[in-house]
Amino acid sequence: MIGFFIQRILQAILVIVAMSVIVFVGVYAIGNPIDVMIDPASDQALRAALIQRYGFDKSLVEQYFIFMGNMLRGDLGESFIYRLPVMGLIFSRLPATLELAISAMLIATLLGIPLGLWAGYKPDAISSKFIMGLSVLGFSVPTFWVGLLLIMAFAVELGWLPSGGRGPVTDIFGMKLSIDSMEGLSYIILPAFNLALFKLGLLIRLTRSGTVEVMSSDYVRFARAQGLSEGKVVGLHVLKNISIPIVTIFGLELGSTLAFAVVTETVFNWPGMGKLIIDSITVLDRPVMVAYLILVVFLFVLINLVVDLIYGQLDPRIRVKAAS
Amino acid sequence: MKQTFKLGGTLAAALLLGTMLSSAVSAQTLTMGVRAGPDSIDPHWSTLGSQAETLRHVFDTLVMADENLQMKPGLAVSWKPVDETTWEFKIREGVKFHDGSDLTAEDVKFSIDRIPQVTGPMSMTIYTKQVKETQVIDKYTLHVKTKVAAPTLPNDFIRLFVVSKSIGADARNEQFNSGKAAIGTGPYKFVSWEPKGDFVVERFDGYWGDKQPWQKVVRKEIPNDSARMAALKSGQVDMVNYVPATDYASMQKDKGVDTFIADSVYFLNITPNVKETLPKPVKVDGKDIAANPLRDPKVREAMDLAIDRKTLVRVVLEGLGRPANQLMPTSFFGGSKALPEKPYDVAKAKQLLAEAGYPKGFEIDFACTNNRLPGDSAVCEALSQMWARAGLKVNANALNGTVFFPAQQKGEFSLWMSGWGTLTGEASYTYGSLVHTADPASGQGAFNKQGYSNPEVDKLLDEGSRTMDDPKRRALFEKVTEVSMNDRALIPTVQLQTVWAAKKGMLTIPPRVDQETLAYEIKPKT
Repeated sequence: MIGFFIQRILQAILVIVAMSVIVFVGVYAIGNPIDVMIDPASDQALRAALIQRYGFDKSLVEQYFIFMGNMLRGDLGESFIYRLPVMGLIFSRLPATLELAISAMLIATLLGIPLGLWAGYKPDAISSKFIMGLSVLGFSVPTFWVGLLLIMAFAVELGWLPSGGRGPVTDIFGMKLSIDSMEGLSYIILPAFNLALFKLGLLIRLTRSGTVEVMSSDYVRFARAQGLSEGKVVGLHVLKNISIPIVTIFGLELGSTLAFAVVTETVFNWPGMGKLIIDSITVLDRPVMVAYLILVVFLFVLINLVVDLIYGQLDPRIRVKAAS
Repeated sequence: MKQTFKLGGTLAAALLLGTMLSSAVSAQTLTMGVRAGPDSIDPHWSTLGSQAETLRHVFDTLVMADENLQMKPGLAVSWKPVDETTWEFKIREGVKFHDGSDLTAEDVKFSIDRIPQVTGPMSMTIYTKQVKETQVIDKYTLHVKTKVAAPTLPNDFIRLFVVSKSIGADARNEQFNSGKAAIGTGPYKFVSWEPKGDFVVERFDGYWGDKQPWQKVVRKEIPNDSARMAALKSGQVDMVNYVPATDYASMQKDKGVDTFIADSVYFLNITPNVKETLPKPVKVDGKDIAANPLRDPKVREAMDLAIDRKTLVRVVLEGLGRPANQLMPTSFFGGSKALPEKPYDVAKAKQLLAEAGYPKGFEIDFACTNNRLPGDSAVCEALSQMWARAGLKVNANALNGTVFFPAQQKGEFSLWMSGWGTLTGEASYTYGSLVHTADPASGQGAFNKQGYSNPEVDKLLDEGSRTMDDPKRRALFEKVTEVSMNDRALIPTVQLQTVWAAKKGMLTIPPRVDQETLAYEIKPKT
């Protein structure tokens, strides 16, 4: 087990080093961040002074090693734009993204798996065809467009829900969350549903194809022959056997939702991390870009680790292999 | 654990009640949906337009600007030069800071001296670079000594925000963002702010100016255009700025919305590179040629004549603009009223190209910004089609600002278009930077990347920057405008207009040429 952890952490470090090199070289290739940030009325002397102050006059390799040296001491630097510690800036946005991503995943899972099971259990029913039609829409229609439609329908025309932004926040376990009040919930419904649509379609199709396959297998026939109720057959035998790919997809999607919910956050003006990273890219705020991507790498490694542990719980064969 | 939940529940209920109550007295609260906000609450951190616009609610400037960017008294009631290199500012008496202390000349001196220590990448030192030292003469008199004669110093001080001396020399962004150091003399007191989030202020009852109609002002930052318009239509905000041209057209028919239009300081200008050789040679009949055709005034004139500015405004900008014949509004200090409207004449353009030796035209790359200003990439593409009619093959390439500005700085473009706003309302800001020969020693021509150099223009600009007499200086700058525009050092195309929108019948927004959205100028309709 410990070997497994160490292997994962080494992997993460390798990815972080590779990624930081790519970001540094990439930003360097685009050009000097000062030229994007500087005021048009500045003169040449001021430009030179700023370049020196931010260390852009040093060679790329030098800049890189200074950054990495600071990082090893736990200092990821300050944002060029806000002059605030990068980590604080990112963590101030994390709760908003966290609650949005988790709400979206909950909607996708709690709707997607039952619907997929039903569609796989009764593949020829009209209701199943309808569900499958919906799932196609779910991942073929662009997110931003659905988002705008949702706003037009529920916020502008009907006036039931707010058109964007985040509700009032309260401190819960040191995190500023908005989902504990009805008002806060009213703000999160539309963006969470918008973000969930793609995953919903994916989960429905994944669950259905697994169910169709498993339903015709021997152990389902034996379970039925044993006299088990249909509910038990589907809920216990089928669900457990199709859950490995579902958990894999769930993990991957959770990671990408946390890291890249940019489109939904933009359309609904949700103050999450996705908007922060996009804003940072447009002004070449390199410290924020690097720190954010390091965080994303860690998130993915962490989620994959949890997914691997769950595999073991779901399928004893995997556990045996890992132990040997 | 249970205790925490109970507390959380009570808090939530209190908040819910609070928001219900606040919506009941919403006549007193103004909620704005704005495209951009500040980067910090420290007014000296950045020269960003949206930074100044936001912090004006909390901090006052020494000199203020009216809706046409002409100077009016702010925290200084008057100013005059006492000798060639000294300006005397009389500070307004009876002004209170939000913490109750009095404003004195010491606070102003502290603010000027503080700027070089705290500024970031958009450095405020551009407004204090002429200052050599500041001297407090008495409680309400300040002398500012400049390195050389500096007639434009009061213009620069339109952006000079005054902070309280009591915050100390060490106050950084953290202290300002938390509100501890955010002590100004402005009409509103700072309440809270989150980067890219909401900026909230409350009326300051001890304000020296007019009493404010709004008890509370919330500026919600909503950068996405359609999200901002949806927020207005759904009633989440009372008003929005930067209405896109397409939404403006549909709002004309909407009975629930009022719109407000203003000319802006932003102009879209074409810059021809007139250096000996171009970074990428132009092509004639598909072959590279060594010469730079843009050096020939006839070629520049031909390109100018081929631009149909009226069509640009009417079709491309949906009417939200004006044809331009110089780089700033004519009403600004140094703007020329003598320059004629630019003609549109393709036949003459073709003839001029033939005379210059390019009867079959040439092929050239044309770079522009994309989404930096409304309509910039659309204007760019329309221009390349207009030039095609005169026989030129222009490859338009709209680039993101992240790519455009570094490449422009490195001199990689042959022909480009970008926006420029004369934010000080005065000619030397624009012409000194764009058409004066690039001279790092004097700091002139910092954005003259096209290699334009005209000794006559340089002489006029240099003389103007030393002339303390206003009418004389105005005449010199008018001449600069005329000479450089007739040379086509830059080719102006259109002046952009800005649109605000608000809930029907709720308020009036006085148009401002600098596009600023200021709660203290917005009045409820009665």
